Order: sequence, then C-alpha cells, then structure tokens
Amino acid sequence: MSTNAPLLVEAKGLTKTYLVGDVRVAALDGVTLAVPEGRFVAVTGASGSGKSTLLNLLGGLDTPSEGTIEVGGALVSAMDREALARYRRFAAGMIFQSFNLVAARTALENVELPLIFAGVDRKERKHRAAELLDQVGLAQRANHRPPELSGGEQQRVAVARALANGPRLLLADEPTGNLDSRTAREIVGLLAGLNREKALTVIMVSHEESLVREYAHEIVRLKDGRIVATESPA
Amino acid sequence: MRFADAVEFALASLRKRRLRTFLTASGVTIGIGALVSMISFGKGMQKNVTQAFKASDLFTTIMVMPGGAEVPSADPDRQRPSMKATDRPDAVLDDASVAAISKIPGVQTAYPDIGFPAMVGFAGKEEFRLVQVVPFVVAASSALKIKWGRAYGSDDEEGVVVSRSLLRRLGAADPAAAVGKTIRITSVSIDIGRLATLNLGSLLSGEASPVAQATYEFPILGVTEVSAFGGEANLTESAVMIPPGPAKRIKRLPFSSVWDLFRMRDGRMGYSAVTVKLGSLRDLNSVRSRIHDLGFATFALADQFEEITRAFYFMDMILAAVGMIAIVVAALGIVNTMVMSILERYREIGVMKAVGAGDGDIRRIFFFESGAIGLAGGLAGCVLGWATSLLINRVVNFYLARQGVPFIDYFAFPLWIFLGAIGFSLLVSLVSGIYPARRAARVDPVVALRHD
Repeated sequence: MSTNAPLLVEAKGLTKTYLVGDVRVAALDGVTLAVPEGRFVAVTGASGSGKSTLLNLLGGLDTPSEGTIEVGGALVSAMDREALARYRRFAAGMIFQSFNLVAARTALENVELPLIFAGVDRKERKHRAAELLDQVGLAQRANHRPPELSGGEQQRVAVARALANGPRLLLADEPTGNLDSRTAREIVGLLAGLNREKALTVIMVSHEESLVREYAHEIVRLKDGRIVATESPA
Repeated sequence: MRFADAVEFALASLRKRRLRTFLTASGVTIGIGALVSMISFGKGMQKNVTQAFKASDLFTTIMVMPGGAEVPSADPDRQRPSMKATDRPDAVLDDASVAAISKIPGVQTAYPDIGFPAMVGFAGKEEFRLVQVVPFVVAASSALKIKWGRAYGSDDEEGVVVSRSLLRRLGAADPAAAVGKTIRITSVSIDIGRLATLNLGSLLSGEASPVAQATYEFPILGVTEVSAFGGEANLTESAVMIPPGPAKRIKRLPFSSVWDLFRMRDGRMGYSAVTVKLGSLRDLNSVRSRIHDLGFATFALADQFEEITRAFYFMDMILAAVGMIAIVVAALGIVNTMVMSILERYREIGVMKAVGAGDGDIRRIFFFESGAIGLAGGLAGCVLGWATSLLINRVVNFYLARQGVPFIDYFAFPLWIFLGAIGFSLLVSLVSGIYPARRAARVDPVVALRHD
C-alpha cells in the first residue's frame, strides 16, 4: 500500500462542542486528520476521548461546530440534511457496537435497506443483498431475523448492509465491543480483508489497541478530544 | 425511496402492531360510519319528501284566494306570506272567475274548495271530519292515490273516497273489505226560521234548537293510501272526498270558517279558495301573474320548496356536524397512535437515517402509515354506516308497518356518499399524519442511535 495514494478523507480543525447546562464542553477539539484512499486507520482512546464523535462527524450523522470535512472531494461539513442523507446512503457505510439491525426484518431485508432508500428496484436489490451476505459468509442465514443470529453474525449483516451501495469508506464504531475475543478477531479480520481485497478505506474506532495493531496502517490516539499520537505499526 | 416501498414499509409497521392498528382504525370506522349513516339519512329524507311532493302534484298546484283575503291558516296569528300588491279587495271568487281562471293557458283544471264539517260514521264508530267536495276530473287524476277500489266516475256518482287512516280510526282494518260498504255523513245546518224566534229558555231546554242534523249514506268507492310523507294530505287535507253532485243534496252550513262569515257580512259572497292544477310546472309563473291580474291572491307550494330545500341543507349540516365529532375524535386517535409509534421506533428511525434514509423518506413512511389507517377505516366505515342504516331502516319500518305506513327507505346511498366518505377519511388521516411525520423526520440519528 503506497502512502502517496490520493486522500479520501481530509478533516481540518474539527471541533464539536455541546452545551451542558451553561457550560460549553468540547467533545472534539481541533482534530486534523488525513486518510489516503485504501488505508485502514484505527482510532483509539479511553471512553469519552471523542472517538465516537469523530466517527459520527466523518459519517455525516452529525455536523461539526467548527472545521471542515472533505470526503472524496465533497465538502461534507457544508452539506444540508438532504445531501448528508445521500452521503450516508452512497459514500460512507457505518457499523456500530450494538449492530443496529432492524429486529423485525430478516438479514437479507436489513442489507436491502440502503438499496431501498437508493431507489433500487426489488429484484436487483434482492440479488445484490444476497451477494453481499455471501461475501460476509452469511448466505445460509439470509432469512433469519437478528434475534436468531449470534453477535458475530449480526455484525457481519451490519457490514454487508454498510457496503450495500458500494461506498469507498467504511466507518466502524467499536464494532467488536459486544463480541467475545475470538469473534472480535474474526470481525476485524473481515474488515481487514475488505480493506485489502477491495481497497476499501476503513476507519475503525476501538479502545482495544491490541486488536487492531495487526491490520491497521495507522493508529491515531485520542485524548480529551485531541489527537495525542499517530503511529504507523506496519 | 420508491412509492411501493414506502407503502410496504407503512403496511409492515401496521401489521407488526395489529391490535393498535385495529383499534385506531376502528375509531375511524365508527366516525366514518356515523357520518355515512347521518348523511344518508338526511339525503333519504330529502329524497322521500321531494318524491312525495312531485308525485302528489303539489308543485303544479296553485291556491287562489279572494283579493285581500289571507290564505286560510290553522293559526290566524301566523298568516302565510305571498300577498301581492296587485290584490284587489273587491275581487270575488265566484263561478265566473273560476271559469276565467280555467281558461288561462296552462291551467288544467280549476275548482272551488268546498268543504264542510261533518260527523263521519262507519260500522258503529264516528269521527268528526271535514268533507271535501272534489270534482271528478281531479279525483280521477294522479293527484289522488287510490289504492283500493276506484275514484268516482262522474261529478254526479253517488259515492265517496276515503283515506285509509280514517278507516283505521273508524275500526276498519282491511281497506279492501271496506270498499262497497256504506259510510254515513252527518251534517249540521241552521234553521233560519227557528233562529228568528230563538230565546234562551228554549235553547237551554234543547227543544226548538235552530241547529238541525241530517244523515246521508254513501257507498265507499275507493280508499287512498297513507304515506309517511304527506301523501294523504296531498290533495285536500281531507279524509272524505265527495263529488259535487251528491254534495249539493247535503244540507249544511254555507261556510266552513269564521272568515267566510266576514265575507258574507261584506256582501262579497264567493268561494274561500280555488284550487288550480297546472299541466306543467313551467307554466307556474305565467299562470300566477295572469291570476294576479284578475285581482286574486295566490299561494303555491313551489315557493315553499326552496325553503324546504334550505331546511334540508341545514339538517344535513347538523347531521354532518354530529358525524364530525366522531371524526375529530378518530383523528386525535390517529395522531396519538402515530406519535406513540415514533417513540417506539425511535431507534429504528435512527438506523434508517444512518443507512441513508432522507427526511423525506421517513416522512413518507409515517404519512403513508396514517393514510393506510384512514383508508382502511374509511372503507370499513362505509360498510358499517351502510349496515347500521339498513338495520335502523328495518326496525323503523317494522314498527311503522304496524301503523299502516308502507315500507319506505329512510336512507339514501348515492355513490358519492361512499366515495366522499373514503376520500374524506383519507384526507383526515393524512392531515392527522402531518405532525407525526414531520416529527419523525426531524429525529436526530445520533441521539436515536444512543437511545434504548
């Protein structure tokens, strides 16, 4: 992986403040980050260090108080609600610690969700969703609902769903937090595999540095909303 | 997001909460059902009354009164309107003027209203009634609905036509059997000779009373049917109709109301009223103006029909208002259900947003959900309203049948009632869905995803 690949994500001076009572609290305080295309970046730090806030901003779920975010040449920090929805739909896939699958829908239907919002027709999206489930190794569990799946399986469904509309960026917020260590390694392995084989850019938040050391091109350490260290283990 | 997908999302969510969907839709069903039966009742009444009026020729009837006379009214304090400035107090309704009116183009027949109070007896029972003298041409026309027997064949035939309700009061349950039987008419007259020699003593003792009674017997030729909508009073407001020939034989008072006495005093003897029948409603205004030119006052029911129509419009409004109360309650039920649904699906909304749902997509899903409740409630409400009306109709008719009223549809169901009800229900549910849908669309995904 060459380091002179073009930048996919470029965040400058990212600040996110919340008003708690009368006090202004900075969850993120001037974070600048550049991620070239095809990299696997791990963001680590203690809880409350601002990892999830950073990921929500990069994923277009939240908007920064200050600073800019550019992804693939588009200025995400300046987007309106509708443009952000499109950005989430097509450009940035997200997975979460608690999987966030819709319990009433089967694995296949969960993977279909982003395709439905993209207006893909029924036949095409069934086909694509089945293909994605096959990629994450869950072809035979397609018609099971989330409560019938193990934690690892649920997270695989979530990965398939995040990739449904073919984004170049995958954002993972503590994806292994609810999993046992063996399953956790499997999931990180899955993400690393996608990064390697499909040149998918992955930004993964984890408080367990040991878990990501093996695969991450870069480890960014956050503390109190600031980047305190950047390391390239490989 | 495609339309079909939004519908599928909405239906899936409704299916998941079956009981609540059912209960909410039931509220709409009851509201729409009430509205449908209320409006169909209003329309049914209107239809029945209009039909009864049209069938009874009342629209093509003009009542002509002497100039300066008020229209005879049961309550002298409440005179009917339609006095015209052209009325001449000296215009007298005599045979010459009746003949003149008959010659006006458009007039089918014109005949004087002659009636007298009499005691009507049949098989032992007696009733006090006004006997109306009705010429053959009118009795034989469609104005008189004779269901059993027939009308008299000429102005001189010996026989009368009575109403079924009179027969019932006189104890004859079977009108068909009464045809051909004899009815007694007892009239009252004043002996002018005795009136002159009258003193208080002889009056109190009862001897030498100037009042004389005479009883006449006539065969019943025909019986008219009772209708719930004024069919009985269609022609004459009377229960006994007699042709002019035999009427002449009956000794009776030369007046039927005190007003006639005033006219006699003024030396203006004439009929108190003349009934004019028109061939067509189109001639109404031209004939009336010709009659006014003769100096007479007229009264036509067609005038009042506009008022009746207005009254029905008003009645519709009240019935619809009652139905609306139920609709408003149902609409609040929809809002409540939808807001509850947002709270329950808070996290799901966050998930949908996280994977790319726009505000519009979320809005549409919730909007369609409340619309589906409204559509289902509207359809079921039409069935409920229709079924309820049918049941009420049966029950009411069952009781009225015992009183001799023929079967009548008290409810009318033109197609627009159903289409309107479904459309209205859909509209109400969509309006109810606006607030919940907007609220759902505004959900912040970051907050929603943290939500348990």
